[in-house]
Amino acid sequence: MEGDETMMNEFNENIHRLRKEKESLAYRNIRLYNVRRKISKTLTNIFFMGLVIGLSFVILYPFLKLFPLVFNRLNEIGRPNAVWIPQYPSVKSFQIAYYLLTSIDKLIILKSLLYALVIALIQTFVSAMAGYSLARVNFKGKGIIFAIVILTFIVPPQATLISQYLRFKDFDIFGIFKAITGDKLDLINKPITLYLLAIFGFGVKQSLFIFIFRQFFVSIPHELEEAAVIDGCGFYRTYFRVMLPNAIPAILTVLVFAFVWNYGDTYYTYYFHPKGPYLSIVLNRTFQENQFDFVKSLAWYRFDVMTFTTFSFDAVKQAALLIFLAPLLVLYFIIQKRFVENFEAAGIVG
Amino acid sequence: MKKIRLTYEQQKKINGIIFLLPFLIGFLLFFLIPIITTIVFSLNIVGVADEGGRSLTWNGFKNYYDLFFVELASDNQTQIYRMFYEEFRNIIINTPLIVIFSLFAAILLNRKFKGQGIVRVIFFLPIVLGLNIVVNLMTMSQGSSYIDARTSGVTVFSSDMLQNVFLNAGLGQGMVTFLASSVSRIFTIMAQSGVQILIYLAGLQSINPSLYEVADIEGANQYETFWKITLPLIAPLMVFVAIYTVVDMFLASSLTNEIYTFTFIKNKIGIGAALSVCYLVFVLLIVGVIWLLAQWKVMKR
Repeated sequence: MEGDETMMNEFNENIHRLRKEKESLAYRNIRLYNVRRKISKTLTNIFFMGLVIGLSFVILYPFLKLFPLVFNRLNEIGRPNAVWIPQYPSVKSFQIAYYLLTSIDKLIILKSLLYALVIALIQTFVSAMAGYSLARVNFKGKGIIFAIVILTFIVPPQATLISQYLRFKDFDIFGIFKAITGDKLDLINKPITLYLLAIFGFGVKQSLFIFIFRQFFVSIPHELEEAAVIDGCGFYRTYFRVMLPNAIPAILTVLVFAFVWNYGDTYYTYYFHPKGPYLSIVLNRTFQENQFDFVKSLAWYRFDVMTFTTFSFDAVKQAALLIFLAPLLVLYFIIQKRFVENFEAAGIVG
Repeated sequence: MKKIRLTYEQQKKINGIIFLLPFLIGFLLFFLIPIITTIVFSLNIVGVADEGGRSLTWNGFKNYYDLFFVELASDNQTQIYRMFYEEFRNIIINTPLIVIFSLFAAILLNRKFKGQGIVRVIFFLPIVLGLNIVVNLMTMSQGSSYIDARTSGVTVFSSDMLQNVFLNAGLGQGMVTFLASSVSRIFTIMAQSGVQILIYLAGLQSINPSLYEVADIEGANQYETFWKITLPLIAPLMVFVAIYTVVDMFLASSLTNEIYTFTFIKNKIGIGAALSVCYLVFVLLIVGVIWLLAQWKVMKR
């Protein structure tokens, strides 16, 4: 009996020891596996972060490059001993740039922001209607109209520039104005031209906006609309009370794009309202290469800058650019989080 | 009068057309009629008539001939077909780069990592910084390109060194030049790919995560997952992005200035119109080719 017990004990111990060894072996293997995985994970992470940081740098680089230029003293720019940190910081280039931009119109920044906002609102409103109709209403020729939207998106507006220009030069719809006033209307250089284009769906990239709205409205479930109809909503009530509130992601996306593109637009404003208070065209006009002497004499006469080189001209130019971009960047940083989330929800994908 | 009662569907149809009306009127006024008049102008000599209107004299295809073989661009030395060629080359090189690069950037952004918010802010800056006016103004004037060369030499990369590395690695000269030029184009490419990255990112987010889960369980690695899941599902978007890129590049092209110069400065409306028509056909051809390539790819599958 005792012998049996000791044998059993020994047997148990043996098994126990074996199991332990096996476990520790397995354990070691698992640990090895984990370590290996960890190393490869860290490596890919380092590689990945390197890529991200590198690309971010590439994006930011042209922008970062402006700062040393802009904040330098105008007569010191171009000296080889200061590349990134200006030796004698100054904001003179900003003063000159601001003076140049606002010399014609003191409120030009506010005015162009307001213009961009109003046009963006009009564009969003009109495109949302068209997009809704294309997505939700079945009528004959819908496919053709959608094809037309795509076509107007593909054809660059410049291709129709000449006859659009001439059309606005003596504007008339079926001879109505001629009958009333005796002469045709000259709409070039009047702000209404730009509003007309936006109202009739041909503002900056408006067909793209129609497309985005169409894609979004297609993805809204039909049950929502049916429920609204059963509850007694008519067409307009369904649209304004049910559809639009559900389309806020798309609305925000389009609004932001329309705002940014209209604010920076130099095409429509330049051709149809060149004398208007738009920061973008003033910026474009003021800093042509042939304006160098003008800016130079201004810097000397008003701001006591004695040596004004092409570097200084560039510095003033970039300062003006930063003034132009400032409102956009502020807006962008305020809304960026919602914007990115919204774009994902806006369903451009479908 | 008898009141007409419409069903909801009928109401919807009528109102739907009312909703589309602004666009349709705009299409007629600002698109269809202008294009037809442009085509008519391009076949005529346009002058000012005695009574104040415009007079058209039939000129056949002479305008087109003049445009390509007689007239010069506004700098008085480039011929127009050269400009078309440059534009074409630009598109051929830049479009694939933008399409691929923005997909790459979107995939990077789609991963979860620390500091995601900040990186996204940076990657979408091109939407703001990519405005034509910004790109134009950011390029330095000729006199100070020296500063540009100096700073970029210090910080980013000298493409000479890269070229040597690739040449030593046994790549052909043509390939190396192409790579080097793509590297030096990277700022242009970045500046133009803001919207494209957004489009891709939206697409990537909409891929069903369970697909990736299954792939993971089946033991696929990331490389396989990309080729077997991500790419096929994102492919239709690539066509859209390519078309968007081409259209976007045309908006910034220098040919538009030529249209303006011919028409309103040199006062040759007929030739300006001919240029517009060529331009239009050119865009439609390129987009058409992209679309056909996409269709062909789909058909093959």
